[in-house]
Amino acid sequence: MATTRAFARLAARPTAVRPAVFTRSFASVTDTAARDPISKAGEAINPDPTRKVVPESKTSTTKEPAPDKDAKIKSFHIYRWNPDEPASKPKMQTYTLDLNKTGPMMLDALIRIKNEVDPTLTFRRSCREGICGSCAMNIDGVNTLACLCRIPTDTAKESRIYPLPHMYVVKDLVPDMTNFYKQYRSVKPYLQRTTPAPDGREYRQSKAERKKLDGLYECILCACCSTSCPSYWWNQEEYLGPAVLLQSYRWIADSRDEKTAERQDALNNSMSLYRCHTILNCSRTCPKGLNPALAIAEIKKSMAFT
Amino acid sequence: MASIMRPGLLRQACHATAAPQRFMSIRASPLAQQLRPTFAPSTIPQSTRIAAFHATRRHQILPALPQKVEGTANDPTPVPDPSPVHGSYHWSFERIVSAGLVPLTVAPFAAGSLNPTTDAILCALLVVHSHIGFESCIIDYFPKHRVPLLRNIAMWALRIGTLTLGVALYSFETNDVGITEAVTRLWHA
Repeated sequence: MATTRAFARLAARPTAVRPAVFTRSFASVTDTAARDPISKAGEAINPDPTRKVVPESKTSTTKEPAPDKDAKIKSFHIYRWNPDEPASKPKMQTYTLDLNKTGPMMLDALIRIKNEVDPTLTFRRSCREGICGSCAMNIDGVNTLACLCRIPTDTAKESRIYPLPHMYVVKDLVPDMTNFYKQYRSVKPYLQRTTPAPDGREYRQSKAERKKLDGLYECILCACCSTSCPSYWWNQEEYLGPAVLLQSYRWIADSRDEKTAERQDALNNSMSLYRCHTILNCSRTCPKGLNPALAIAEIKKSMAFT
Repeated sequence: MASIMRPGLLRQACHATAAPQRFMSIRASPLAQQLRPTFAPSTIPQSTRIAAFHATRRHQILPALPQKVEGTANDPTPVPDPSPVHGSYHWSFERIVSAGLVPLTVAPFAAGSLNPTTDAILCALLVVHSHIGFESCIIDYFPKHRVPLLRNIAMWALRIGTLTLGVALYSFETNDVGITEAVTRLWHA
């Protein structure tokens, strides 16, 4: 046994052929350098005894930033509620920012507050360019995406930011979208076909058929429209809401889909579709400029007298 | 929102309609608080002095229930069975009635002549139209799963009201001058 170990030591010894960097010896308790990965071999720190700390008299001084004379201070009142303190009521907290040092959009202000003022402020955000739909919230009374909403430069007016109305709040500006997504799932938002394509390759569409989907497929499901709809506020459990109905129409209008009748039947009751009373808040608030009310009207029209 | 600015206003407003669980706080009324010498230690519980967030109404008519997710988060919401009578037929019928009311309302005055038939149709459509409208309100504001009893009461009240209106209009049409003539006389009165 002892001889094998001695041979192994010999084999592991650095030779002229193998550089010392690639040589790994056996694991040992005392030789901690042996446990380091190979990549650290070049990073060995050799403290230089001649290097000394530069005294403060020889360095520059960073002063406290002087407040700007032309600072544009704007206050933001933001809805706060912490689930860790369930007994406490929601409250509005005020933050002031200098607009000269903030980006142009509301999301920039929120991110700046979170970075520099209050890290406990909670909100959803992802793409900061209006394509993910995460940062939907109620800003100055309008449901919109924070990343697409410019901060009003009038500093005399204070901005108020709330989560989407009539949604269960997870924390601060984060609404619970479970019901919304479950409703979206219930309209089966995918292509349903039983017959194969005629040429066995793609399901083709004419340009006119494709044009019908414009204004429908752009929806990013931010739920701004649904949560601005009073009918959806009162009957969230049964009424599907503009966003989901727009998605339903997106598949009803699709020429490739073969389950149009089933899709219409799923909406053909008192609650799912016909709680829409053409209030049109959905079309007014849509941050993507879509028209859910028109889609709902098209569904109603296609189902009329049938 | 107003109560954030004026918590005193809210306190007075909610005082009259405080809920039973706030009984203790009712007894220490704001009036007593004002009459009490300022140096006396406050006997009002801390919680009552918090300004409510929702200002318009301290006691909501139908406060939101705790969230309840049926099934898992990945299950779709249940799709109701198709019932065209309450769905598409109902909507089409409602639109026809609404559209028909417009010419029927204008025609008698535009033509300047009174016809018992158009009068009768106008009355019938008015009754149906108002019934559908109120029914829609009841469905919107009295959810079946929340207030089933109230929903039934409201629906029956509506049916009785519609029936009464129908009978009243019938007797007005047969025994009196009819609504078109009544409106004309009121207009010229």
